[in-house]
Amino acid sequence: MTNNVFTIKNLNLNYGTFKALSDISIDIEKNKVTALIGPSGCGKSTFLRCLNRMNDLIDNCNIDGQVLYHVDNIYDKNYDVITLRTKVGMVFQKPNPFPMSIYDNIAYGPRCQGVKDKNELNKIVESSLKRAALWEEAKDRLKESAMSLSGGQQQRLCIARAIAMEPEVILMDEPTSALDPIATLKIEQLINDLKENYAIIIVTHSMQQAARISDNTAFFHMGELIEYNTTDSIFTNPTNPKTEDYITGRFG
Amino acid sequence: MSNKRKRNDKFLDILTYISASVGVIVLSLIVVFVLKNGIGLLNLDLVTNDYHAKFYNGGIEEVIDFSETEKPDYLTDADYYSVKWGVAFTDDLDREGKAIIVVSYIAEDSPLYYMYDKNNLDNQDFKLEVGNIVTSIKYVNKESSLSIYGASMMISALDEEVVFREMVFSSLGGGIRGSLITTLYTILLTLVIAMPIGVFSAIYLNEFAGNNRFTKTIRSMIEMLTGVPSIIFGLLGLTVFVPLTVSLTPADGANIISGSLTLAVILLPVIIRSTEESLKIVPEDFRFASLALGANKTQTTFKVVLPSAIPGILTATLLSIGRVIGESAALIFAIGTAVKDDISIFGKSTTLAVHIWSLMTDEPANIELASTISIIILIIVLILNVLVKLLSKAYLKKGIVG
Amino acid sequence: MIKFKKSIVSFIHSAKHRPKRGVIDLITRLFFLVSTIISASFIIVVIIFIAKEGIKPFITDNDGIGKVNLIRFLIGNTWLIGTTFKSSLYSVGFIIINTLYIALMSLLIAMPIGVLTALFIAKIAPKRLSSVMRTVVELLAAIPSIVYGLFGSGVILKIVYDLAKVFGVQSRGGNSVLATIIVLSLMILPTITALSEVAIRSVGKDIEHGSLALGATKTQTNFKVVLTSAKSGIFTAAILGIGRALGEATAVSLVAGNAQSGPSFGFFQTTATLTSTMLQGIKETIGIDYDIRFSVGLTLMAVILLTNLSLNYVKRKVGKVNVK
Repeated sequence: MTNNVFTIKNLNLNYGTFKALSDISIDIEKNKVTALIGPSGCGKSTFLRCLNRMNDLIDNCNIDGQVLYHVDNIYDKNYDVITLRTKVGMVFQKPNPFPMSIYDNIAYGPRCQGVKDKNELNKIVESSLKRAALWEEAKDRLKESAMSLSGGQQQRLCIARAIAMEPEVILMDEPTSALDPIATLKIEQLINDLKENYAIIIVTHSMQQAARISDNTAFFHMGELIEYNTTDSIFTNPTNPKTEDYITGRFG
Repeated sequence: MSNKRKRNDKFLDILTYISASVGVIVLSLIVVFVLKNGIGLLNLDLVTNDYHAKFYNGGIEEVIDFSETEKPDYLTDADYYSVKWGVAFTDDLDREGKAIIVVSYIAEDSPLYYMYDKNNLDNQDFKLEVGNIVTSIKYVNKESSLSIYGASMMISALDEEVVFREMVFSSLGGGIRGSLITTLYTILLTLVIAMPIGVFSAIYLNEFAGNNRFTKTIRSMIEMLTGVPSIIFGLLGLTVFVPLTVSLTPADGANIISGSLTLAVILLPVIIRSTEESLKIVPEDFRFASLALGANKTQTTFKVVLPSAIPGILTATLLSIGRVIGESAALIFAIGTAVKDDISIFGKSTTLAVHIWSLMTDEPANIELASTISIIILIIVLILNVLVKLLSKAYLKKGIVG
Repeated sequence: MIKFKKSIVSFIHSAKHRPKRGVIDLITRLFFLVSTIISASFIIVVIIFIAKEGIKPFITDNDGIGKVNLIRFLIGNTWLIGTTFKSSLYSVGFIIINTLYIALMSLLIAMPIGVLTALFIAKIAPKRLSSVMRTVVELLAAIPSIVYGLFGSGVILKIVYDLAKVFGVQSRGGNSVLATIIVLSLMILPTITALSEVAIRSVGKDIEHGSLALGATKTQTNFKVVLTSAKSGIFTAAILGIGRALGEATAVSLVAGNAQSGPSFGFFQTTATLTSTMLQGIKETIGIDYDIRFSVGLTLMAVILLTNLSLNYVKRKVGKVNVK
């Protein structure tokens, strides 16, 4: 229990009448990279968004079950969503930097939490960019617009932006699908470095990527969690035939 | 820290809610004000009456048969009635608070119908009507009855006599028939002038024009018209269209035609834009199909493209009507500010909007009548807006389905 | 210019070499082209004719009253009616300052209210309330300016008059700078709200989600991210708003007070704008008073043009800083 950041029990989710997630139960470990794989529309992104309650923003979304962040159910009535999101950060599929300077992008989160001291912000910006492997490229252009960065750089900026909040968990929703191979490689290296300090849950449609970078892998299909195990086991010795079919490319 | 942020958020939220309510409050205030001040005058007479009070001098020969009608039941004690003459007068106050005597009833067999127009003996249509104001009645061997003596005295004085020298009376005035007719003429004339030019320009720009410098220049020149305030167009009307119409028509000053020409210029960008938008929606395939069947561009345009653009043209028409009704500054110069009862398109008069301005710049300003006219204008504008909305909804539906 | 000529030449060329069957099309095309040229020519007609009349007072003798001095016209601070006072003392300088001052103040009031209302409609209100509010804004935009003038004259003047009394100031029945500013703010409010709403709604959802995912509240997201992203559209709204404020005539003429000298900065002083001056005494004028209106009109067009140019310049500059 203490090694898990998230404990999910019997999670069900409906968009209106469409059942997107059926009875998901899974434990996410600390300081590990957990990959969520499966064919398009299987519910992996939906599941990811449950973990920081971003599904609240979608109309007609009904959730049933328990999602425990450490020991508290985040879907309790009085749960502080805002604080949750500072502890559980998110990086989106398409890089979405704000139309502000690079500096302001990173400083945005801390500023929202009330951090005003110039020196403190400077430190946060520098350390976040360093940890996101973007400092060298950005340090001389901090006041320039974030929109002037390349796609890969923007995504690393978004990661830096999330890190600036000092989260415990970073959720990544297909973070490299909009990027070229070189940028992808850089991000994968980054994820490898990050797992020392953060639990990372990454949705990916690329099995190769999952195999490369993750410690644990969960296979989703049609809203159900088919199999969850260490990455090695899943890829070399899947127990469920559906998993084997997907991995060997019979569908997906 | 979290509390401070909560307070900040709350503060901003409150500011936002207050700002949003400003719009609603202003709209309600305007509507309430206009209704409160104007509803009193809103009746059918207003719409059909002349604005200017007309003055009459009536004379009468010796009367032979007098009225036999008794005082009708619906008249009150405030209505002073003469059985002999079959007429009832009542006291009232005019807009400036002066005492006046108003005719509240006149029987069908009243001998007053024998009155003739002292100023125009050929006038067949001369008669005293309910609502007319009686200023004085002059007698042969008695002192005149004046309105300051009150209705009761006037009726008793009249009752004693079988003939009088002269009755001075006037019509109420304050009607807006003239302005209504002017507005109607202006709308029609403006549409007749502006729609063809606008629609044809839109057709050229969308169907025939190439994507070159020339076209771009033309487009920006038309767009520039939207940035010019309407009062400037008024000056344009004054210096171009008024002299033009004066030299070509019986007009001798500002007139409805010059006003319509001025408005047409103002409306051109609106019409062109609206028509172009609906032309753009017509799928290229329609045109190709027509051309492939051997039709030439002209036939394609008129028979295929234009009919599909009708909703846009209709929208443009409705928007134009709304604009004409609301326009004041330009027409103050281009048609003038003289409120008239006899309307000719070659002469000055006022549209409803300009009439309001004229009322408000009088001393004293007639806020009541101005509000009444505003009610009428607002209702028309509201209906037009609703029509435009319905039209675009229907058009969208048709576009997707058909 | 060369390209312009080239396109006309190619037009004529292609026209010449069309097959006979295309004659009908050619005629039609010409017919439509003529309509278009007519439409496009009006802007030129406007400028030329108003300039023609507007320059007259400066170069003719004005029936013995004397030429109007151009410099004094532009920078002076008194406006006297020529035929009455037998003077050529027309100065529009102070009126220009009044006009700009009033338009700016109206913008300052209408912008926050309009932008926040737009934010409310676009992001905060539930769908039903949103569309009701949107209709309210549309209705306000559809009300003709003369009705705003009536409202200003009947309601705002009284309020300002009473307010002035509270401050111990005697105002001319309420006709004042403040009344004019209030009326103008009300008139440009719908325009600003509508355009800002469009700008706000076009801000991508992904940016909003990005902000929320970082632990910002909805309000913080709206103010720190959404509004800043919609900056450019909101600026456009301001430009259009101030254009409308500068050009508004009948409503202003009913609440301004027709000051003969100035400029008037005090809220309870009477004032005069370029447009109200053009309407002044329109019911009975001849001679130099007639012509001078065109000069004022010319000035108004110059002021609007300059304002638009400078604001657009600022917009481009600001835009450059943020989005390279």
